[in-house]
Amino acid sequence: MENWRCHVRAELIRRDGSQKDPYAGVFRSLFQLQDQCEIRQHIWEDVQSQSLEQDGITFVDLHRWLRESEHLSKKLSQTVSDLTCVLYFKEAEIQYWQSQVCRYRQEALSLARGSNTMRATLNQLEFTVERQAKELAALQKEHTRLREGMVEAWKEKGELLQR
Amino acid sequence: MADDKDVLRDVWFGRIPTCFALYQDEVTEKEAEPFYLLLPRVSYLTLVTDKVKKHFLKAVKPEDVEEIWFEYEGTPLKWHYPIGVLFDLHASNTVLPWSITVHFKNFPERDLLHCLSNSVIEAHFMSCIKEADALKHKSQVINDMQKKDHKQLWMDKFDQFWAMNRKLMEYPTEEGGFRYIPFRIYQTMSDRPFIQKLFRPVSPEGHTHTLGGLLKEMYPAAITHDAGPKQGSVCYFPPASSLACMPGPRLCAAGRAVLRCQ
Repeated sequence: MENWRCHVRAELIRRDGSQKDPYAGVFRSLFQLQDQCEIRQHIWEDVQSQSLEQDGITFVDLHRWLRESEHLSKKLSQTVSDLTCVLYFKEAEIQYWQSQVCRYRQEALSLARGSNTMRATLNQLEFTVERQAKELAALQKEHTRLREGMVEAWKEKGELLQR
Repeated sequence: MADDKDVLRDVWFGRIPTCFALYQDEVTEKEAEPFYLLLPRVSYLTLVTDKVKKHFLKAVKPEDVEEIWFEYEGTPLKWHYPIGVLFDLHASNTVLPWSITVHFKNFPERDLLHCLSNSVIEAHFMSCIKEADALKHKSQVINDMQKKDHKQLWMDKFDQFWAMNRKLMEYPTEEGGFRYIPFRIYQTMSDRPFIQKLFRPVSPEGHTHTLGGLLKEMYPAAITHDAGPKQGSVCYFPPASSLACMPGPRLCAAGRAVLRCQ
């Protein structure tokens, strides 16, 4: 990770450490207590004067358990729905990354193909250079031979003129 | 982009512990207990305060109830600023939890816009996203999205938001970055509520701009005076195009200016 990302993340973690984290636990407990208090208050209003007792369990207790269970089940179903949603998006994300992998693979293949073509061209050019070097050497040899011939011819010409 | 997701996730889950109290003069029925809430930094006040409203309505006579609004130490809080921006602007030096006063009367018409339903906030949010995309991609990306994609950006689940937001943060490699960096520098000590100008992510010489470069050009006081990096300290500034990947409110080093990337 680049330096700035580390820095930003460290600062965000430091900020949460001073702002969010010290209060998150207390606030969570407070919300739970408020929920429970609300449920109990409803029950109390419902059955203010009609508490019947059977086997040591009061109607109020049963009612409270029922309400609390209902509340918990509502929360659980919300969690399940959230998780399903997250799963759906994770799957979409995997698909996106797979398509990216596919795209980069294609790019890598086309680059490798280009590299092979260039290598073949390079080989061909090396071969041409080698061939042309050989031709040049042969031409230089021929040139030397012709020059020697010419010198010989000049010599003969000079002798003939003297005669 | 995967690394940007980690940064953005940290921004997304930022919370501010807050204590809401009803304005003393408006208590008519019975004494209202304060209400505590962990406010998400990247949301809007009126969007996350349904419970607060319900709680305090018990203490106010129905005929006294008008539109709800919030205030901190005499300053009405603008609902169309993200909560994190409001906190960093007005209360970053306060003792936590942040104490906000709730009002149901005397709506400050001169300072606040009316917000009669959540659809108003959604429309404001979408208009910010569209404005940012006009600067980044000439609106090509947002216009290519469907209505359901726009809705997904508005949802309060990070993964759903990220799946769409990622598209808004992409650009062709050959272009090397966005056209312009969408940003706002909010300020409290000025007549202008914020600074917003065109700023390219790359200089004409081809150098990548950083947040430091942006601040130096738009708000030099943030760099040179009270908030300049101390000698011997290390200060990292992200490249400006990465800055645009963070939609949440950003507190710049100046303390009085809050930089928010749209």
